[in-house]
Amino acid sequence: MKSSLPPKKNSNLSPDKENWKAKNPFEEFKTLATPALNLPMDQIVQSSEAIMDRIRWGYEKLLEEEAKELVWMVQYNTIIKAYEVAEKYVKEIDYTAEDVEDFCFAMENTQRIPYLIPGPAGIYISALCNYAKEEEILLKLSELKTEINLIGFRLPRGKRLRIEGDTGDFTGIGLEGGDLVVEGNAKNWTGAGMRGGKILIKKNIGLHTGEWMMGGEIYVGGRVRGLGNIVEGKVYERDKLVYPGKARYPNLYY
Amino acid sequence: MEEKNLELIIKEIWPRLKKKHLYPEIPVPKVRRTSHPKEGEAEEDEGVGLEMKQKQMTIHAGFVSQMKDKMEEKRVVEALLDHGVTHYTFCPWDFHTHLRLYSEAKKVVGDKELAKQVSNRFIDVIADTHCVKKRCTEIPELHRNLEKGTIEEVIASLYQKIWGIDLGISASKKSVKGHADIVRRLARIPYLDRSRWGESIRKFARSLKPLLVEEQKQQGGKESRGEHNPQGEHDLNRYSNEEIDQGLRDYARQTLDLSEFKDVLEDFSDELTGAGYGREGGMGRGHGNPLDADVLFYMKLAENYSIPVKKVPLEKKGSLHPYSHSPWEIGSPFQEVDIWTSFGKIMPGITQVWTKREGKGRGKIEGTPDSLIAIDSSGSMINPRKSLSYAVLGAACAANAYLQNGSKVAVYNFSDAPMGGKEILNYTDRREDIYRVLCKYFGGGTALDLEDLMPLIQGRKNLDLFIITDMKITNLEALIGFFSQIQNRMTTVHIGDNPYAARFEKAVEGQKNISIYTVKRKEDIPHIVLGRIKDYFNSTSRK
Repeated sequence: MKSSLPPKKNSNLSPDKENWKAKNPFEEFKTLATPALNLPMDQIVQSSEAIMDRIRWGYEKLLEEEAKELVWMVQYNTIIKAYEVAEKYVKEIDYTAEDVEDFCFAMENTQRIPYLIPGPAGIYISALCNYAKEEEILLKLSELKTEINLIGFRLPRGKRLRIEGDTGDFTGIGLEGGDLVVEGNAKNWTGAGMRGGKILIKKNIGLHTGEWMMGGEIYVGGRVRGLGNIVEGKVYERDKLVYPGKARYPNLYY
Repeated sequence: MEEKNLELIIKEIWPRLKKKHLYPEIPVPKVRRTSHPKEGEAEEDEGVGLEMKQKQMTIHAGFVSQMKDKMEEKRVVEALLDHGVTHYTFCPWDFHTHLRLYSEAKKVVGDKELAKQVSNRFIDVIADTHCVKKRCTEIPELHRNLEKGTIEEVIASLYQKIWGIDLGISASKKSVKGHADIVRRLARIPYLDRSRWGESIRKFARSLKPLLVEEQKQQGGKESRGEHNPQGEHDLNRYSNEEIDQGLRDYARQTLDLSEFKDVLEDFSDELTGAGYGREGGMGRGHGNPLDADVLFYMKLAENYSIPVKKVPLEKKGSLHPYSHSPWEIGSPFQEVDIWTSFGKIMPGITQVWTKREGKGRGKIEGTPDSLIAIDSSGSMINPRKSLSYAVLGAACAANAYLQNGSKVAVYNFSDAPMGGKEILNYTDRREDIYRVLCKYFGGGTALDLEDLMPLIQGRKNLDLFIITDMKITNLEALIGFFSQIQNRMTTVHIGDNPYAARFEKAVEGQKNISIYTVKRKEDIPHIVLGRIKDYFNSTSRK
């Protein structure tokens, strides 16, 4: 009967050599391989990565729909429309305030998010804050190199958003009763068109503050560079009421 | 007695521990006796269990004895050694990684002490987590039994969350409850992903900063608890001088940012001075001057580049010839081995090498001549002490190339030389002196005083000239005239393109002893071949 096994090669090798050939030199190390434990950390990191992917995807969709040519103009209707689109994507995601903070930092990493367009980015972050599960949100953004515009847009009643660091233009515009605190400075057009709620800027604020604001209060710990045309509401500069009160020319540097 | 017992424990567990960590090249750990401080004095290293100096780990007997009631000695020792070994095998791994982590932490917290604390704690979390995930370890048990302050409780709470092991920290405990958001933030960091350690430590620092600041305020300038880390300190003592050299070299290459390099170096200046930096001698170590971060930056950065020097036939009284035999030692060059008397073997005790002597005849052998480096430090050049100067980097690489070949280097640093804007260093092989003159910046007009150059050139038949400038020299014509008269090999490097450089190139294009290079980026520097002469052939290569 023929053997089905292939003939042994080099059958004339000395027993020593044969042993040497048959033995895997790394065999001994097999016993060293301790199976890596599955730690809860892996699960936490994996799920935050998955959420970040979803948030990133929503932002890319917003850019696709609202900033096709990677150009976006700040106008009343463009802001409203972009926010509606952002809301649509944000509502589908289950995330926490920490995910929002991570997204802010991820935006500066061009490998992860190639296009940072300040307007839509700010609107998207505002939508994320407004739809977050937490009532109080803290974003530690002091080392962020970019100042985010439009943050706090339409912050609803019952929500408190605290930002460590500075913010850009249009901070807290259209505020809807929420409580916005900026630990640093804010730029121009802060609180424009806000209807109610409170904005506290701990340092200085730029021009056109409270332009067309319809209600609510703006507190500034430092200097107000210029007020806008305010319809209704109050503006305080270092605990002193500056509007309504002593008339000031809008946007005048003083 | 206690120490003997610990030594026996280490002897028993060390082979198993080495195997567990895949045989790292670390010597057998030692045991340090318990010191008995005088009454009223606190023990120097109270609460510290492990000490790491270079690659030597030392277990503190006092700490193990303190823990004896809570945990078996053998388990304490194993946990400490697991932690210590992981610092060598995973994080921080090398000095460069340590520096990088520190500098990222400093960007967030701003303060030197806080940044050191953040980076140390981050390194510890990574090492412990790596051990818990990949090895069978007693580290969780050690953490369960360690005494804890507020920050340690938060970190232990983090471990509970990310390891899924109960460390006896109750979620309802006041100190933990108030910091639940910090633990939540810390838990999201991918500690074991080496490629993301930069962004991870920034997040770690951001989250932990309020607690550290609070602790610093409470301590009011006194030593914080973080300075008595039971799992060992993370200072520069851990690294050997060679590792520090390599780390600084890699860090300089990777940051390419002089101010960042200076900032980090100043923070570690005490430790670096302790390690011998800022003194004369090879690799920036030895005795003498205070630490100059700018000089060290260019020194370390230049070590990453290697510029070849073309050798020239140098006249000697006689050539060397084999004269007698001497025994070969490990580390000696193989070229001199006499294979006949060594029986074809390379083995100390058997192998013999030829000892050579100079003969009486006259002949020509190849060698590297001395070099004169002229560097422009006028206002149109970058101030090397403010930002990365390619001129200084290029000159530093050239100086290195000549020094490595056993030649000497003179430096002529000029700005408006006839008005005194110059510094001259005579021929020397002292690297620090050369770098100090190269890094000098005058920032005035640009003119060469040829009278200064003459004494450095005269009487030296074999001398290479190396000039690095942007060519915006007011007496360029005089310089061109001077260059056309001398026959020495000349390497001219101009930084960037401009009409003056074009004018110079055109004027000297016929001269075979002048090579011209343009440096626009740092990557251009290795393309420079010092002393290259067009159509160059020397007597030995003609064979």
